[in-house]
Amino acid sequence: MKLKSFKILSLGVSLLFFASSCVKMDTYTGPDASLTGNVIEDGSKNNVQTCSGNFSIRLEQLSWDSTPAPQDIPVKYDGSYQNTKIFSGHYRVSIHGGAFWPVAPEEMDISSGTVHDFKLTPYLTISDFNAEMTDSTTLRLTYSLDAPVAGIPKILEVQPYLNTTQIVGPGASIYDFSDLNKIAVNKDWADFNDADKNGEIIVSNLIPGRIFYVRVGVKFDNNDKSSNLSNVIKITVPGK
Amino acid sequence: MKKRFLTIVAGCLMLASCQKLDIPPVDILTDDQIFGSEAGINAYLAQVYRKLPIEDFTYRPDGRNDGVGNVGFNLHHEWEHFYCEAAADGEMVGPYGGVDIAGGFGYWPYKDIRDVNYFIETLPTYAKNFTADKVTSLMGEAHFLRAYYYFALAKRYGGIPIIKYVQNYPEQTIEELQVPRNTEEEVWNFIGEDLDTAYQMCGETSVAERANKYVAMALKSRAMVYAGSIARYGSQTFVDGDARSQGLVGISADKAAGYYQKAIDAAKTLEGHYSLYRAKGDKTENYVNIFLDSKSPENILIRSFFAGEPERNHSFDATYSPNSDMNYMTAGGLSRTYPTLEFVQHFDSFDFVTNADGTPRRYNSQAEMAQGLEPRLRGTVYFPGDVLRGVPFDVQAGIYPSFSGTAADEVAKPTGTRSFILSGDHTTLRNGRLIIGKAGMYPPAFGNDNNTRTGFYVRKYIDPTKGISAVNLFTSTTPWIELRYAEVLLNRAEADIELNQTADALKCINDLRDRAGASLATAADMTVATYRNERAKELAFENHYWWDIKRWRIADQLLNNTHFHGLMPYYVESENKYIFLKELELFNRNYYFDKKFYYEQIPGGELATNPNLYPNNPGY
Repeated sequence: MKLKSFKILSLGVSLLFFASSCVKMDTYTGPDASLTGNVIEDGSKNNVQTCSGNFSIRLEQLSWDSTPAPQDIPVKYDGSYQNTKIFSGHYRVSIHGGAFWPVAPEEMDISSGTVHDFKLTPYLTISDFNAEMTDSTTLRLTYSLDAPVAGIPKILEVQPYLNTTQIVGPGASIYDFSDLNKIAVNKDWADFNDADKNGEIIVSNLIPGRIFYVRVGVKFDNNDKSSNLSNVIKITVPGK
Repeated sequence: MKKRFLTIVAGCLMLASCQKLDIPPVDILTDDQIFGSEAGINAYLAQVYRKLPIEDFTYRPDGRNDGVGNVGFNLHHEWEHFYCEAAADGEMVGPYGGVDIAGGFGYWPYKDIRDVNYFIETLPTYAKNFTADKVTSLMGEAHFLRAYYYFALAKRYGGIPIIKYVQNYPEQTIEELQVPRNTEEEVWNFIGEDLDTAYQMCGETSVAERANKYVAMALKSRAMVYAGSIARYGSQTFVDGDARSQGLVGISADKAAGYYQKAIDAAKTLEGHYSLYRAKGDKTENYVNIFLDSKSPENILIRSFFAGEPERNHSFDATYSPNSDMNYMTAGGLSRTYPTLEFVQHFDSFDFVTNADGTPRRYNSQAEMAQGLEPRLRGTVYFPGDVLRGVPFDVQAGIYPSFSGTAADEVAKPTGTRSFILSGDHTTLRNGRLIIGKAGMYPPAFGNDNNTRTGFYVRKYIDPTKGISAVNLFTSTTPWIELRYAEVLLNRAEADIELNQTADALKCINDLRDRAGASLATAADMTVATYRNERAKELAFENHYWWDIKRWRIADQLLNNTHFHGLMPYYVESENKYIFLKELELFNRNYYFDKKFYYEQIPGGELATNPNLYPNNPGY
């Protein structure tokens, strides 16, 4: 046999092997399932007031493994969540983090178009939240706190959150207006007096002509030091 | 055709030569070679010590991979020493964007622990090659080394599997090899037991880089105050989860006293064998030399570095001095990490830079400000006006043509409305005077951090005897002091105070304060705050504080969306004076410590290979 034809033959044979190794197709289904829903406050039936990065929905797929690696779906600032690229299967679904009374994890089958709402009871509700400009650059915030259920974790701090978009809260706020106006509380709810429960925060030296979105948060000494949040108010600082 | 024939002949010849297959390999060391002589043993232990998780100059707490198999510890050709724990825990501000080190890097050294277990199992069968005493002391040393690895694991993860024997595959089944986690309490007890074994078996003395019985007790005093504080303070501040309810993290509070007492007992064994360094008359010079004098009686365990080998020297001198691009204090390298005002305030409030009426105090020179501060602080930090290698730390941040009003009002002014004059370089003059000092700050807009962001530089471990031309990358050989007697005294004082043994604590604290040139304490000062503050001062930048604020469970309070400050010197032109303003450090970064960071998560890859490691630590 000539060397050249041997080479060609070898090439042909190896190409044959190469091609034949590709006939086994991956027949697993893609991530065609989805899970969407809302996180609802048990009392008012409204979506809970939250913020990006505050808490999440944790999924653990039990179809294959009793100790799966968890995947989290962040809850959006309007209290809704969705993930449209999930593998169909049997999951344990739980709330990961957040300033709420714990709810037991639920097991469910997730397939295309699965909807599931969570009902949560926040540690504190922040009501009567009001924001008004007292002079051209000073903002006065008032709010009322109430604990639907006794025995909540210690309250660490109350603080305003200001941002230039409606996505505002812990982790999305302007430090100088938000963190610097933090009120260190560090006491239990049982020790709150009426003045603590009906609080006032002054934010000064706002920038004239700007629009801010503002809310108030109460931070707890719980596992993830998370916060209950008020609704968001848009304020316009008068121009010069 | 001829070629093919030759190939067949050669193949046949090769086959014929294969009769004797079971011959000793020539490319790996055999047990006979290793355990046959003291030289072999030393070579084996040298690589164990080399891999020991000592958080020295080259340690990267966020875990850089050096490309040859090391991550975090003992990196090959590592020079960026400003990526250190102190740059993330508030002692300093540095290249990290915040608390970037809290996730760790999945440290999981069971391969290295196996090397130690192998040594413990194999040495007895070669005991005839050595004297009985030698075998005993080597076995003790191995137990110290194993405890050291488990200490590095326990402080990161809490409870992890205790593996005391050499695992073998395929002799053992996969199920046997998937060892579940022990409780955190069992792990700390195991560390204590291994160190007790080391104490009983090791010799009285050793070379400075290796363990003797007192080195084991020094580490035990450290490990036991860790365990005691985790039991006491971890029971107050914690994240709930399955791992906690099963005891895999956390120790019950009633165990704290027992651990603290063990720490005291261990620390007391070193008395009379080690002492605080007091060789120099001047207290500041003395404190500086603790870290440079190889004959220090305070050194318990050190790691040496050697010239000429990139993986066995370091670059500390070149990476903590300013303005490398102008070769101002170094011939190369660059610095990026600087002590904070909050750190120096462990020593003094620094309120003296402001007069009673709130106006900044006027100084004739930058150097005048630091006069009269505690010598230990002067030996730890380079202050404005200090001199290194013949050039001054001129850290001037700008020039005020004139200054009136209070310091607080000036600092509160919105950015851009203050009247001082800035420059983006270290050469621009105003009326013949530099606007920004040669070691001074760049305005944040220029984004450069190779000069201080706080007004301070590190002095601890800096060798002042080297000339500028000798300070470059990979030229430092100053040893790292892993265990020194000052820490043992602090461990003992901490345990004493936690157990209300005030007299013994006072003795230890005042020994340290006397050496530091600080005012002496009284029995009434023996509080938790005092031992914590003393430890922060004495052990600054030595990779202790990060673990201390974690085990005291105060990191989530100290690093709670915290922004750190500096002390910025300005020249006031109209008065020919200097003023100092307490301001946010130039990058104004946010530091936040999540409570779940008190424990690192079990590495994902390990969870995948061993499901018995579940549940993961709380919060992950």
